[in-house]
Amino acid sequence: MYFLAYPFANLMLLLYTFLGNSTVAAIAVLTLLISLLTLPLTLNQQKSSRKMQEFQPELEKLQKKYAKDKEKLAQEQMQLYKKAGINPMSGCLPLLIQMPIWFGLIGAIKYCIPSTPLDLFKFSHHIYKWLPGVVGLVPLQSTFLGMDLGRPPSMAQWWSYTLPVLVFVTYWLQQKLMTPPTAASSSSDDKSQGSAMAQQMQTMQTMMPLMMMMFTLSYPTGLSIYFIISSLIRVAQYYFIKTNGAGTK
Amino acid sequence: MNRFLIRRRYILLAILAALLLGASGCSGSSRATSWTGLTIAGDVLYAADMEQVQALDVADGEPVWAFPKNTEDDGRGVFYVTPAVDKEHVVVASQVPSTGFFSQPKNVVWALESDTGREMWRFDEAAGQYVEGGALGGGLFVIGNGDGNVYALDVESGDLEWQFETGHRVWATPLIISDTVYVGSMDRHLYALNLSDGKVRWDFHAGGAFAGTPALRNGTLYVGAFDDKFYAIDAETGTERWVFSGENWFWGGPAVYDDVIYTVDVNGNVYALDDAGKQIWREPLGVLVRAGPALTEDGSMLFVTSEDGTLYALDTADGFELWSVESEGQMFSPPVVDGTAVYVTPIYGKKRILALHVDNGREIWFHPPVVEEEE
Repeated sequence: MYFLAYPFANLMLLLYTFLGNSTVAAIAVLTLLISLLTLPLTLNQQKSSRKMQEFQPELEKLQKKYAKDKEKLAQEQMQLYKKAGINPMSGCLPLLIQMPIWFGLIGAIKYCIPSTPLDLFKFSHHIYKWLPGVVGLVPLQSTFLGMDLGRPPSMAQWWSYTLPVLVFVTYWLQQKLMTPPTAASSSSDDKSQGSAMAQQMQTMQTMMPLMMMMFTLSYPTGLSIYFIISSLIRVAQYYFIKTNGAGTK
Repeated sequence: MNRFLIRRRYILLAILAALLLGASGCSGSSRATSWTGLTIAGDVLYAADMEQVQALDVADGEPVWAFPKNTEDDGRGVFYVTPAVDKEHVVVASQVPSTGFFSQPKNVVWALESDTGREMWRFDEAAGQYVEGGALGGGLFVIGNGDGNVYALDVESGDLEWQFETGHRVWATPLIISDTVYVGSMDRHLYALNLSDGKVRWDFHAGGAFAGTPALRNGTLYVGAFDDKFYAIDAETGTERWVFSGENWFWGGPAVYDDVIYTVDVNGNVYALDDAGKQIWREPLGVLVRAGPALTEDGSMLFVTSEDGTLYALDTADGFELWSVESEGQMFSPPVVDGTAVYVTPIYGKKRILALHVDNGREIWFHPPVVEEEE
């Protein structure tokens, strides 16, 4: 899972050199580059999501028609997806791709701002010395607003706990905007089904940011910076697409 | 969005969260994040051996004392750093793991009686990890910490006498000579501080971090840095005398005999340099090396430990490999030579302390004794 850690760490070193030896700026630009790199996938995900919404009435009709025959329902749904040119897996692909990216970034922060010597020793043999200005850079400057970016938040630097809180807020906002509301249904059966689903989604919308916040508590604070910026980029992307109407066709 | 897809999305996110939580160490398993260290004083070998500080008879490895006696009920954390020893004190440091999700690990310096292992005092005010050991001198114990400070403690009481803040982590063992403390920091400075009050006498700025202990000979300090360079610095003024370029970082401190300086970079290149910085020989071992080398008392043999668990014995005349011994585990600490034996501490191995004969690497004893399991 950490195979991206060395390339990311070297990229971070390069950015650190070009951005006036600022670790936070290096993390921020690295996040931006990663977001740009995964932009086609996220756009595809949003397109797919919108198409799904368009075909929601037809899907609901199928669900009603084949309520007692799950096998037939699945067949008909697949046919509908095929006809509409929707790949049901395309919405999940960006999430799968995010996993190695997150792990790579965790590794990169551990290598560039190490809090333990073994992490640093591992990295000593994987620095791309042909990159300009990277020799002698590691470990990068680890202090930002009095916080140690290489270590998890601690009571000694109590204000470092604001970063996990910001992770929660920005991730929650991102989740809220990205998840479309459930369609209203006419029948009472559908209404109760819809409200159960809405409740489930609402719980998950709170649970996921909460989980993100929990594990940023045990990771270097530098990673929180990535999560915050990454969420803000997605929010900006959402509004950009909404304003420009991209991805609707 | 289709309910099936929403669910799948959340399941994926939940799996990811679980993976990240596992990787963060919330699973409760303990992993070594540093290395252990050895010191010999008289007939006793002192080892910070993970859960315990061990005092062993140097001749046969028989335990003299251990601190704490019982690791099950009386754990004091994980001891990593090389013990600093004088006639009365053994000073070590440990990291006590966090007890809850919101609590942080505690980093503690322990002073023990050298003949009994009884605790004298402890100091737990540093916020970062202790990576290398401290130095004793002038009634003080001086040690660097991952929080970027150098702490000077009264060796009798453990009271903080002074602290000096650097710009980054301090992972190097200080060198105390007379009334001066020389200590390198990850902020790329080597500092000369007054032993009495911690005031800066001079500081030398290099192109990379300092993580090794300098060696002093004839008024010159010898120390390598993470800019792949090895420096000779005037101990009085802090000015550079010469610089030698290696292939990769110099992490461990050098060994000096007569006018020859022996050092090794992390790529495993062992160098012998004269006191003008000219290379006498270079021996590429082809292995990863973290620790500095150690010499026999007569300066005829040089020992180097490697990450793959091999101990190399080289002829100091030409760097020729005399013998090498492989062991289970990894070696990140420097070897310690005493008389006819060389001592090493592989981590992750069953034999955590090994005594080997300097002439041929033959095993003399090891610790802890292996209990044979009945079938």
